[in-house]
Amino acid sequence: MRNSFLQLFLSIFIFFPGCSKVDLAVSDSKGILEYVSSLKGEKAVLLNVWATWCVPCVEEFPMIVELGKEIEDLDVVFISADFEEQTDAVHSFLKKKSVAGISFMKEEKDETFINGLHPEWSGLLPFTILYGKNSGKIVDFWEGKETETKFRESIKLAITR
Amino acid sequence: MKHIFSTMLIFSVLFSKELEIGSSMPLMDHQLSDISGKSLSLKDIKGKEGTLVIFSCNTCPWVIRWEDRYVTIADAYASKGIGIIAVNSNEDRFDGDDSMDEMIQHAKENGYNFPYAQDPGSKLAYAFGATKTPHIYLFDNDDKLVYRGAIDDNAKSAKKVEQTYLANAIDALLAGEDISKKTSKALGCSIKFK
Repeated sequence: MRNSFLQLFLSIFIFFPGCSKVDLAVSDSKGILEYVSSLKGEKAVLLNVWATWCVPCVEEFPMIVELGKEIEDLDVVFISADFEEQTDAVHSFLKKKSVAGISFMKEEKDETFINGLHPEWSGLLPFTILYGKNSGKIVDFWEGKETETKFRESIKLAITR
Repeated sequence: MKHIFSTMLIFSVLFSKELEIGSSMPLMDHQLSDISGKSLSLKDIKGKEGTLVIFSCNTCPWVIRWEDRYVTIADAYASKGIGIIAVNSNEDRFDGDDSMDEMIQHAKENGYNFPYAQDPGSKLAYAFGATKTPHIYLFDNDDKLVYRGAIDDNAKSAKKVEQTYLANAIDALLAGEDISKKTSKALGCSIKFK
């Protein structure tokens, strides 16, 4: 299931020749949530919406990357809300921060994207959602920067659900 | 102790409820520092037919892409009785990117045709429950909130807009009709509270 989604994304995504370690996919909220669903039963998912110019996003970003590397039962999915002309900057940032696996760039009108990910999200960045490993359902979500303690507590919960 | 208060402040900001449709305009006497050098309040800005409050700043990429429409909205509606102001509540940056000098320069470069004022203590932002820029609040002539959210559905390009949320709301307000879409959402930068 997961592989089929990856194949689909890789067939339509912007690819950066010579940068094979960073997979940056352009997608709407529906496509992103389909990818998240494909991980149900395998891993808890931490979805983080960020942007290169968003200071609190950039501040918490390395901590999230490290949590993704440390916690085996967790898959971290970053979604950049940068404008398309910043695609190169997004790609460079992800590479610099050693982000492995697939990341997304938003390609959808703001309101549809925001409500598509979570109807209670105001649109403030950063925005984080945790999906349960076994249920695939939303376990926790918040907008704004948070502490590592908060992230760890919610990840722990997501892994047990 | 300082840390505890900071944490409480962050929580109060994150969980402060945004002004509901139908609510009265808060803090109408709160004194703002305008780029003209004058002190003014929302009471001073209030238009005969309604009032538009735009939470904004100098550097947010969404503001920069949308602010050409601040000007066209002001061009179209100030003469029809809509009072308009852009409020900068980024108190944490009043010594930097959002200083008065930078605001004056920013307004000049972008042809602002409305007051652009600092919100000391970010008090208006707290009172409105505003957390990001740009964010729009439209009040009727009875100072009740009738629309809040985005200007339209395309930050990137005025030419590609499909839904002119704010203009539709003002048109309906001026015509005495019900506003069909009273709220909308958009991405934005966080207000930099101190």
